[in-house]
Amino acid sequence: MVRGGSILLILALTSPSLAAADTMSFGDASALLAKSCAAEISANCRGVSFDSNRLKECLSRNTDVLSPQCATDYLKSLDAIQKRIAARTTVANACGREIVKLCKGSTKETSKSIPCLTTTRGVSRNCIQAMDDAGYR
Amino acid sequence: MMRAVPPSLRNVGLVVCAWVLLLTPSLPARGQTAPARDDIVSQLSQFDTAPDLDIAALKQQVLERSRSRSRNEPPPEKRPPIAPDLLKLPTFSVAITFDTDTPVVRPESYQAVGRIADALVQASLLPYSFLIVGHMETTGRRENNAMLSQRRADAIRDALVNTFKISSKRIQSLGLGEEQFVDPAHPTSPVNEQIQIVTIAKQSEQSEQPAAASPPPPAKKPAKKR
Repeated sequence: MVRGGSILLILALTSPSLAAADTMSFGDASALLAKSCAAEISANCRGVSFDSNRLKECLSRNTDVLSPQCATDYLKSLDAIQKRIAARTTVANACGREIVKLCKGSTKETSKSIPCLTTTRGVSRNCIQAMDDAGYR
Repeated sequence: MMRAVPPSLRNVGLVVCAWVLLLTPSLPARGQTAPARDDIVSQLSQFDTAPDLDIAALKQQVLERSRSRSRNEPPPEKRPPIAPDLLKLPTFSVAITFDTDTPVVRPESYQAVGRIADALVQASLLPYSFLIVGHMETTGRRENNAMLSQRRADAIRDALVNTFKISSKRIQSLGLGEEQFVDPAHPTSPVNEQIQIVTIAKQSEQSEQPAAASPPPPAKKPAKKR
């Protein structure tokens, strides 16, 4: 019994981390791009600032000179940024009930309800997951 | 002069230096590593009241003052700040590396820009709007520095808006050149090249502005038809 209880306790303690964001933070995604492709960007993308579209365009034009690491990581990093941005739109669906009922907001202006959603009790697990994915929490 | 100092005193100096270095291990590293998201958030969310800022007018003032050839011009360290209102607002300074004389952000600063974006989408900062402020130290021509700092502030704003899709309504940019220093006592210090993020307004106040400003456009349309 004691063992079963302790296993449950451990599960309960670790479950919040299991619900952590499925997306990468902007900082981590940007760091990955810089770490894997700094040399390639400096050498081949002169005058290109930190603009995901232009960097993608420049690096994909130069695939033959990219290191294997950069070739896989630049798409991974830029996709991660897109994924985190796209996660914002899922919040309106995942948190619809909470936005209207708990925060008296509108799902058309989700971002206005976020400060309320992150501080109110009774928010569904799905909604919390969606907010984590979007980087709101 | 050095010879006059007794060896024992010199040792004391060394010990003091060693202690200072030991006690402040994080300080030298801070400028090089990207800031933590939560540090940016806690700093910038301490917003009280919105000042009356006219960013377009400030840009103009910076350009005009940087071009002034008056003989009564004070030395750099005695120039009065051109936008003193900004000094009272919550501010976070970040060292961003650019290509020399260009507004191109270097890869070693991508992470820092990403962290700024992470902070701006965090729930507690969502209600606010911000000003990205560029500065320069006193090297090169004063007028060029005013323009370069503006282009660099624009580049950070563009990265936040285009790459991380932060609403452009929430971010404006202003280059102060060498008309307002991060460290006024040391105008030549590279500290003055830092980018600052300043909280300038709470959006609930701003969101009412477009609503109030929306009537004019229909009024303009009939005027065009005439």
